[in-house]
Amino acid sequence: MTSTGRTLFPYLAAGAMIAAVVWSLSFGTLERADFTFVNSTEIKSVDPAMVTGQPEGRIIRTISEGLLGWDPETLAPVPGVAASYDVSDDKKTYTFHLRDDAAWSNGEPVTADDFSYSFRRFLHPEIAAEYAYLLWDVVGAEDFSTMRLEVGQPVEIELLDRPEGALPFAPGRRISGVLKEVIEEGGGTDGGADNTDGGNGNGTGKVYVVDVGGTERRFRRGDVPSADDDVEACRWVLRDFETVGIRAPDDHTLEITLKHPVLYFDKLMGFYPLFPVNRTCVETYGYPAWTKPEHIVSNGPFQLKFRRIRDRIRMEKNPHYWGRDDVSLETIDALAVESVTTALNMYMTGEVDYVPEVPRTILQEIQAQGREDFSAEPFLANYHYLFNVEKPPLDDVRVRRAINMAINKQEIVDTVTQGGEIPARSIVPPMVSGYSAAECDAYDPEAARALLAEAGYPGGKGFPTLEILYNTHETHQTVAELIQAQLRNELGINVGLRNEEWGTCLNSRRTGDFMMCRAGWIADYDDPNTFLDMFMTSNPNNHTRWSDEEYDRLLEEAAECEDPQQRMQMLHDAEAVLMSEMPVVPLYQYVRPTMVQPYVKGFYNNALDVHPLKYVSIDKELKRELAGH
Amino acid sequence: MLVFVLKRLLWMVLTVWAVFTVSFLLMRAVPGGPFDSEREVPPEIKANLEKRYHLDEPLYQQYFRQLAGAARFDFGPSYKLADYTVGEVIAEGLPISASLGLLAMSFAVVLGVTAGTVSALRRQSVLDVTLMSIATIGIALPNFIIASICVILFVFVIPIFPAAGWGSISNLILPAFCLGAPFAAYIARLTRTGMLDVMGQDYIRTARAKGLSGRTVVVKHALRGALLPVASYLGPATADIMTGSLVVEQIFAIPGLGSHFVKAALLRDFPLAMGLVVLYTVLLYSMNLLVDISYTYFDPRVRLE
Repeated sequence: MTSTGRTLFPYLAAGAMIAAVVWSLSFGTLERADFTFVNSTEIKSVDPAMVTGQPEGRIIRTISEGLLGWDPETLAPVPGVAASYDVSDDKKTYTFHLRDDAAWSNGEPVTADDFSYSFRRFLHPEIAAEYAYLLWDVVGAEDFSTMRLEVGQPVEIELLDRPEGALPFAPGRRISGVLKEVIEEGGGTDGGADNTDGGNGNGTGKVYVVDVGGTERRFRRGDVPSADDDVEACRWVLRDFETVGIRAPDDHTLEITLKHPVLYFDKLMGFYPLFPVNRTCVETYGYPAWTKPEHIVSNGPFQLKFRRIRDRIRMEKNPHYWGRDDVSLETIDALAVESVTTALNMYMTGEVDYVPEVPRTILQEIQAQGREDFSAEPFLANYHYLFNVEKPPLDDVRVRRAINMAINKQEIVDTVTQGGEIPARSIVPPMVSGYSAAECDAYDPEAARALLAEAGYPGGKGFPTLEILYNTHETHQTVAELIQAQLRNELGINVGLRNEEWGTCLNSRRTGDFMMCRAGWIADYDDPNTFLDMFMTSNPNNHTRWSDEEYDRLLEEAAECEDPQQRMQMLHDAEAVLMSEMPVVPLYQYVRPTMVQPYVKGFYNNALDVHPLKYVSIDKELKRELAGH
Repeated sequence: MLVFVLKRLLWMVLTVWAVFTVSFLLMRAVPGGPFDSEREVPPEIKANLEKRYHLDEPLYQQYFRQLAGAARFDFGPSYKLADYTVGEVIAEGLPISASLGLLAMSFAVVLGVTAGTVSALRRQSVLDVTLMSIATIGIALPNFIIASICVILFVFVIPIFPAAGWGSISNLILPAFCLGAPFAAYIARLTRTGMLDVMGQDYIRTARAKGLSGRTVVVKHALRGALLPVASYLGPATADIMTGSLVVEQIFAIPGLGSHFVKAALLRDFPLAMGLVVLYTVLLYSMNLLVDISYTYFDPRVRLE
């Protein structure tokens, strides 16, 4: 027995080795795609309603198309599925005219109903789209999304059973009625109908009394048929979607009515979460099965070919896309390469055509080489420090301003980030179109010391130890260390540093367990609002606990304002309040160091770092020429 | 022996359960949840998200729900790779990590055992000192340094291998080497120590006295005893290498399980983290069981009961 074991061992080892090689080769060598780019990470989903990140956006933008698109150079709205659109005089109604030849990747036409279905799904509480609030300016959309109900309002009830002949993942049968009364059960304390249902699916909670076509019926939310005779079980009770301002009067017209003018609404229609999904596909397979490459039906210039987790997403040209004649690429690979160094290695050896990020450590060297394929353009994103204005002495505006004036932002970008970042004096980057930013105090240590003395801490005497919180990252740490030194030298303040892993850091921020905290913000769309509304009292992103009536009022009024110039002025005034009250210290505006091979044409740098691939082509001759040398 | 194996399997179930419970509690004890992001989600939407993944239930309900799932090897959908279930993620990643790991391990065993044996037989010679110095450096140098040096040498200076990727033989060689190198070094040292120990034993002297050739003595008699410590090291090492290495996978952009491990923990992807922890426990336990069984083959003095 022992001798068999011994003689067997080498064979087993050899067998395992051969099996391993065969196994790993079974994946096969792929032919290189026409255009290969590094997409930084594996994406969460290709379902537009499920995602929020930039890597996801790059894929969804490629395989889907919204009502409008963005010009690759200027980001101005350009026709997408809608060939044109009208805005009513009060700027509250947008009418989109869909083109006749827009088609899904299975050849079926894209209709206005597809959009109305997709927007409904996007807003539905069951989907819980994180970006749903983008559409909350549409009449009734916020109520629908947040399950807010009012007595006397039309409601729709989704029952447990499906209509006959419905697809397996279709929603239940829906009936409409008027809400008569909401009865709290089991000693519910929150009275009145005007509150949000936390959504407990265990069947107890509220009974909704609804007038359905003249008869009064009672409903309770739950997943199983109700035991009560007089109360029916239902999945959802929501504001009737018929009363939400999204209508499709015919196949090629979509009408959207807003609560108040939203001057960037057309730009929003080119934002990827608002791209459509195919109803038949979604209802046949359900989520997430419908997103599988073998099932998915999409309407963009390209379609999914296959996905390999943490390896690549292969896309190929959609033969049914209306603009197919102008799409030059046949195949695209998006690689989920996480290491920026590896991405650069692959770029340098010609395996990829575009890397969205270049390692910081070699930025200076690359810039010194003056390579034409390298660019470091600013985009709409900033890096800032939040104050917790409830923690003394930071509750004193003079202290906050003094700290801001004592921080040498130029030194931060010169010695730490080194990528050409722009020192910031405003929370809205100055490059936002049509807007002039309101600036905070400039770097002035002398004035900072005077202000700190005025606040009762001459030369920093008696000032408690300040603490800077940041999430664990080399750059954040170096920035914090530099600010620590600057504050000590200029103001005589002792600063401690605390770094926490990302999730923990977010939690500390949310619960107010910080004094000063590093934060960053990337714009969703090209408008000051995306930076300013997060400091409103009611905004969940306002971790500073700062609250200012004037600021809230200005932003609310700006939201209602119809005149673009006047609106921008209001936003400017609001920012001026923010920058004099200083719950936040803007530090610098990000740049995005990227590299794109010289033979890639139709690829532009822009303020949102968005690159629609339908405009991209490869200069094959130049590519051959470059490869030859 | 059957009783032994059955007993160990029973212990395995208990161990996995204990690991599951501790991991579950640890995951929930860490501040921050899976749906936290720098961009706060409106509370109504967050409530719906948490409901979808049953995170609104009391902790004990979640525990039993997950435990029931884990018992069927169904860990549910991943939070962060939402288009996939944990099962699908593991089914795609494990073969890649495992094949690369096995390759690296085979290479490590062949190289390590050879170097260790040669070193022991030529004790105190220049060859011994050289091999053992290399082994010491191999153990001391972290993976990413070896990998970086390899990339500079074999991708840029002498461009014979692609920088990164997966799918062809040329993609395999550098990562397998970098992954296996520290293991090879460790195995070399273990083999040398084991060999030196065995060579002084009575039964080797007996074998020599019988008039066996030097080669037969080493290969047939000494090596078997010398490999005992290597075998016990191989069990956990194989489990380790098969579940992937974060560093090597990141550097060579290999879609294995290693990066999932770390990412799932950092991003609070509870189901994926749990699936991987359970997978690792089962693998580690099975490997150790295999090692114990293999002892009976290597060493006639060992009996399993």
